[in-house]
Amino acid sequence: MLQLLVNTFALGAAYSLLAIGFVLVLNATGAVNLAHGSFVVVGGFLSASLGTMLKLPGAVVLPVVLAGMMLVGGALALIAYYPLRNRSAVSVFISTISMSAILETSTLLVFGPAPRVGPPVLTAGSVELGLATLNVQSLATIVLAIAIVGAQYFVLSRTVLGKRLRAVAEDREMARALGMNVNAMIFVTFGIAAALAGAAGLMFANTFYITPGDGEGYMIKTYVAATMGGWGSLRGAIAGAFLVAAFEVLVPSLPLMLPAMVDALPSFQAAFSPTASTIWLYLAFLVVLFFRPQGLFGEAVQQRA
Amino acid sequence: MRSTGAIVLATMVLFSSGARAQETNLTVPIIAPITGLLALEGTSQLNGANLAIAHAPAGLKIKSVTVDSGTAADGGANALERVAGEKNVDFVVAPLFGTQVLAMLPGALDYKMPLLAPTGTGPVTEQGNPYMFRLYPHDAISKAAHIRYVVDELKLKKAAILYNTTGYGQSGFKYMSEYLAKAGGEVVFSEGIDLSAKEISATLAKLKAAKPDVVLIQMHSASIAMVVKQLAAANIQIHVVGNTTIAMPATAALLQPSELKGVCAESASWLEKGASSATDRFLDDYTAKFSAMPDAYAIQQYDGLMMALTAVKNGAKSAEDVRKYMSSSEYRGVAMTYKSDGKGNLAHSVVIVCYDGASLTPKLVKRYDDVAGF
Repeated sequence: MLQLLVNTFALGAAYSLLAIGFVLVLNATGAVNLAHGSFVVVGGFLSASLGTMLKLPGAVVLPVVLAGMMLVGGALALIAYYPLRNRSAVSVFISTISMSAILETSTLLVFGPAPRVGPPVLTAGSVELGLATLNVQSLATIVLAIAIVGAQYFVLSRTVLGKRLRAVAEDREMARALGMNVNAMIFVTFGIAAALAGAAGLMFANTFYITPGDGEGYMIKTYVAATMGGWGSLRGAIAGAFLVAAFEVLVPSLPLMLPAMVDALPSFQAAFSPTASTIWLYLAFLVVLFFRPQGLFGEAVQQRA
Repeated sequence: MRSTGAIVLATMVLFSSGARAQETNLTVPIIAPITGLLALEGTSQLNGANLAIAHAPAGLKIKSVTVDSGTAADGGANALERVAGEKNVDFVVAPLFGTQVLAMLPGALDYKMPLLAPTGTGPVTEQGNPYMFRLYPHDAISKAAHIRYVVDELKLKKAAILYNTTGYGQSGFKYMSEYLAKAGGEVVFSEGIDLSAKEISATLAKLKAAKPDVVLIQMHSASIAMVVKQLAAANIQIHVVGNTTIAMPATAALLQPSELKGVCAESASWLEKGASSATDRFLDDYTAKFSAMPDAYAIQQYDGLMMALTAVKNGAKSAEDVRKYMSSSEYRGVAMTYKSDGKGNLAHSVVIVCYDGASLTPKLVKRYDDVAGF
C-alpha cells in the first residue's frame, strides 16, 4: 500500500510539472499550447540520449535537458505563437497542433521509432522500509519534482523576472503599458514550460520508456489535470495532476484495498481494472465540467481552447 | 586487341540482355507497423523482409513497397487497398499485428491475394480464408509449449497471467489459461493491460497479493519490457515466463541484465552460428546490414518471404499460383521447415530461452518440434 501511495505521489509530481507549464503558457498568452505533450517526448529522448552517451544519472543530466528544452520552448514561441499573437486563440491552438506533429515527427526521424529508456533519476533498485519495498526511482522522482517546483515558485515569487512574468500573465496590456517587454516574457514562459515538461520526460523515460508517439497521451492528461484542477490556476494544476495520478494508481487498486467488496460483488474487480479506471477518470472529468466548470481551484471561467 | 575487346563487350551485352529477358518482375508490398507502439517488432519484421529481398533467388527483379500500418486496427486493411492493385503484386507481406491482419482478411479474399504474416494471434487462420499464411507458430501451439515448459520443466502450476488487451494478448491469454487448467494448474490472477498504459503498479500489487508461483505474460515489446522492469523495481521475485517479445534483442536492450535474471520466454526460432551455411549467411548479413541481432519476427519473416519468392522462382506466375505453392509445398528455411497444416499455419516449432542475469542475450533451454495443442 505504501508503495502504491509513493507511486501515486511520484506520478502526480511528474504530472504537476507538465500541468504547471501548461497553465503558465495559458495564462501568459491566453491560448492553449497543444504541443505541450511533445515537449515530454523531446525531453525524454534528450535525456535518454544523454544518459546513454554519458552514462550519468538523470539528476546530473537534468540541467542540460532543462537548457535544451528552454531553447525548444522558445523556438516554438517564435514559430507558432508570435506570428499569430494578434489573431484569435484558435489560430494559436491550431498552430501548436502543427508544431506538435513537427516535433514528434522530427524526433521519429532523428531517433527512430523504437522506444528508448532514459537514465534513472539517481539509481535503479529498491529500498526496504519495514515490510514495504519502495522503488528508488519513485522516491527520487518525488524529491526532484518538489525541488523543480520549488525553484519555479522561487523564480516566480521572489525575482524581478518572476514578477514580470506574473504581470504579463495577469494583464498583458497593462504590463506593456508599464514598459515591460511582453514578447520577451512570453518567450521565457514558453521556455520554462518546455523545461518543466522536459524534466517530466526525463522522469517518465526511465520507468515508462519514451516513444515518438507518446506526446498525445501526455497532452490529454495535462489538459484533464489543468481543467479539473482549475483553468488558469497553478494550485489547481497541481491538484488536478495528483487527481489524474490517483485515478491511474489508486482507483485500479481498490479491489486490493477492499477485498470484502470483491467477495460481495463479483464484478468489482473488473469495474476497477486499469482499463476501466480510465472510464472513471473521464467520468469524473465530465462531472467537474458539469457541476464546477471553473475546476476545483478555478478562477474566472475562461475559454478552454 | 581492340577487336577482341569489342567481341568480349558484345558478348557481355548479349548475355546481360539475355539475362534481363529472363528476369521476372515482382512487386513486394511490405506492410508493417514501423511507427507507434509496435515499432520494435515492426522494424524487425521489415528488416527480415528486406534481407529476404536482398537474398532473393536469381532471376527475380524485385521492387519493394514499404507501407507503415501504425497501430490502428484498420492500418493494414487501408494499406492493402493501396497496394493490392499495383502491377506485378502476387502476394503481400502483412503486419505481425494480428488485429490488423484480421481486418485485412476480407480484402485478401476480394483481391485473391496471399498474405504472409509473422503473427501468433489465433483467429487469423481460423476464418477459413485460403489466402492467409501464418509464418509464426499459432498461439495454440506456442502457448502449448509455453505451458508445457512451466508445468513439466519448472513444476509450477499457480500462475498469474498478464496480457495486452489486443487480439494478440487476448489470444495468448485464452490458450494459456485453457492449457494451464488442462495441465492441472490454476490461474490465481489475470489482468489485461492496454497497449498504451504506462503506470501498472496497481496491477503488480494485485498480482503480488494473489501469491502466484509463476507470472505468464503475452504482451507486445514495450509493454512486456515495462512489466519486467517494474517487477524488478518492486522486488517481486517470482518466475517469469513470457512470450517471444521479451526474447527480442531490441526489447532486452531496454532493460538491465539484472532486471532480466531468471526471465524465460517462448519463441519461434533460435539461430546459432555454424548450424548451416544458410543460417550463417543470414546471421552475418543481418547483423552487418542492421547492426543488430535478428529476433524471431525477423527470422520468421525472412523465411516466409523467401518461401514465397521461391514459389515465383519455381514458376508461380500469379497470386493464385503463389497461394497453391504456399498451401502445398514444404520449405526448408533458416529457422525450421515450413509446411501448411491446411489452414495456412506454416510454422510448428517453438523454443524456450532464458536469461541468466549477466547478459542481455538469452540461452536456449528447450526446443519443441511439431508441437501439438493440449
